[in-house]
Amino acid sequence: MIKVENLHKHFGKLEVLKGISTNIQDGEVVAVIGPSGSGKSTFLRCINLLELPTDGRIMINGQDITDKSTNIMKVRQNVGMVFQHFHLFPHKTALQNLTYAPMKVKGLSKSEAEKTGLELLEKVGLSAKAHEYPNRLSGGQKQRVAIARALAMQPEVMLFDEPTSALDPEMVKEVLDVMKNLAHTGMTMAIVTHEMGFAREVADRVLFLDGGVLVEDSSPEEFFSNPKSERARDFLQKMI
Amino acid sequence: MNLDFQQFIPSLPYILKGIGVTLQIVSMAGILGFVLGIILSFFKISKFKFLGWIADAYTSVFRGTPLVLQLMLIYYGSPQLIGYKIDPSTAAVLSFGLNSAAYISEIIRAGILAVDKGQSEAAMALGVPYRPAMMDIILPQAMKNILPALMNEFITLTKESAIVTVIGVTDVMRRAYIVGGEKFSYFEPILIAGLIYYIMVMVLTVLGKGIERRMRRSD
Ligand SMILES: Nc1ncnc2c1ncn2[C@@H]1O[C@H](COP(=O)(O)OP(=O)(O)OP(=O)(O)O)[C@@H](O)[C@H]1O
Ligand SMILES: [Mg+2]
Repeated sequence: MIKVENLHKHFGKLEVLKGISTNIQDGEVVAVIGPSGSGKSTFLRCINLLELPTDGRIMINGQDITDKSTNIMKVRQNVGMVFQHFHLFPHKTALQNLTYAPMKVKGLSKSEAEKTGLELLEKVGLSAKAHEYPNRLSGGQKQRVAIARALAMQPEVMLFDEPTSALDPEMVKEVLDVMKNLAHTGMTMAIVTHEMGFAREVADRVLFLDGGVLVEDSSPEEFFSNPKSERARDFLQKMI
Repeated sequence: MNLDFQQFIPSLPYILKGIGVTLQIVSMAGILGFVLGIILSFFKISKFKFLGWIADAYTSVFRGTPLVLQLMLIYYGSPQLIGYKIDPSTAAVLSFGLNSAAYISEIIRAGILAVDKGQSEAAMALGVPYRPAMMDIILPQAMKNILPALMNEFITLTKESAIVTVIGVTDVMRRAYIVGGEKFSYFEPILIAGLIYYIMVMVLTVLGKGIERRMRRSD
C-alpha cells in the first residue's frame, strides 16, 4: 500500500505540489487526471523519487521512502515507471532492454533474465520482436517493450506518465489493452492519462489535480457523472 | 624548378621507417588522451564543483598555450620536475597525450550532455545506480555521436606530431630533414614527408568513415 501524507514539492520558489494526501491500496488502479501543469507528473515522479519531495511523507508497504536513510535504488527497483516517450535504450535490442537491469541490479544470470524477458515480451505480444532494435519498432510496440522492461524488475507498483500521449491514434488501443491486462493481474497502478474512456473503464479511483492541489479523490462513476468541484466540471467539459 | 628525386631513392626506406615512430607516438598519445579525457569529462559533469573546477583549469591551460611549448617544457623540464631526463619519445607521448586529453574531455563532455535526459531517467527508474548507468547506457550513446570529432582529433594529432622534430625524435619529419642535410637539398625530402603525412591522414579518414558507417548500421 502507498500512503501519501501532506506531500509538498517546490522547484525553487515555485510550489508545484501543495500538500497532497491520499492512499493507494494494493492492487488498486488509480487514474491521475488534471490540466497541464497541475503537477501530475511531479506527483508520480515523487513516488519513485525521481523528484525528491520537499515536505511530507510517502510510505510504501510501511517503509517511509522519504526518510534520509532509505536506499533510493531499492525503492526504484520496486516501483516501475513508464514514460510518455518510452526512453528505450536505443543501442540495445528489445530483449536486452528487458534483461539489462535485472542482470545489472538484481544479479540475475543471463539465461534467467532472458527467460523472464521472453515471457514478458510474449505477454505484451512482441515475442517476434525480441531481437529488434527500438528504431525498428512502431510507437505502440516501443511502449509495450517499455512496459515489459519495467515489469522485468518485478515491481510491486507501476507508474505510467501519459503512456499513450505520444502515440498515433491507431496504436493507443494496443498499449491500453496491455495495461488493462496488467490491471487484471492485480498490479498496483497509478496512471496519468488523458484517456477518459480508459480511466472510467479501468480505474478503481480517480485523482483530480489542479494547481498542485488534490481537488477530487473519488470513484470513476462519481467523478465522471457527478463531479463535485467547479474545476473538475470545467475540465471534463473541455475534454469531451 | 629542378627536382631530383632520383638521388633520394636510397634514403626512402630510412624516411619510411619514421612512419612507425610517428604512429607509435600518436597511438600511445591517443590512448593516454582518451583515457584521461574520459576522466576529465566525468570531472566536468560531476556534482562536486571542485572536480569540475580542476578539469576546467586543466583544459584552459593546455588549450591556452602552444603545443610545442608543452613539448619542450616536459622534455627539458623533466630533470627539474622528476630528477632525470626522459627520452624524447616519452616526452612526445606525454605532452601530446596530456594536450589532447584537454580537447577530448570537451568533446566527450558535450557528447554526454547531448544524450537525451530520458535515458538516464529510464535507467534511474529501473534502480540502476549512477556508475553502471553512465558506463552501459549513456557513454555508448555519447561515443557514437562523438566518433567523428574524436577521429578528427586523432588526425590533427597525427599531423601535429611532426613538431617532435624539435626535441630530436626521429619521426618522418626529422628523417626527411636529416636526409636533406646529407644531400644539401631539403626540398625533395620534405615533399616526400608531406606526401607520407597526407597519405596517413587519408588512410585514417577512410578508416574513420568506415567505423562510423559500421556504427550507424546498428541504429
Ligand atoms: N524540473 C523542474 N524544474 C522546474 N519546474 C518544473 C520542473 N518540473 C516541472 N516543473 C513545473 O512544475 C509544474 C508542474 O509540472 P508537471 O510536469 O508535474 O505538470 P503535469 O500536470 O504533468 O503537466 P502536463 O499535463 O503538461 O504533463 C509546471 O509548472 C512545470 O513547469
Ligand atoms: Mg506531465
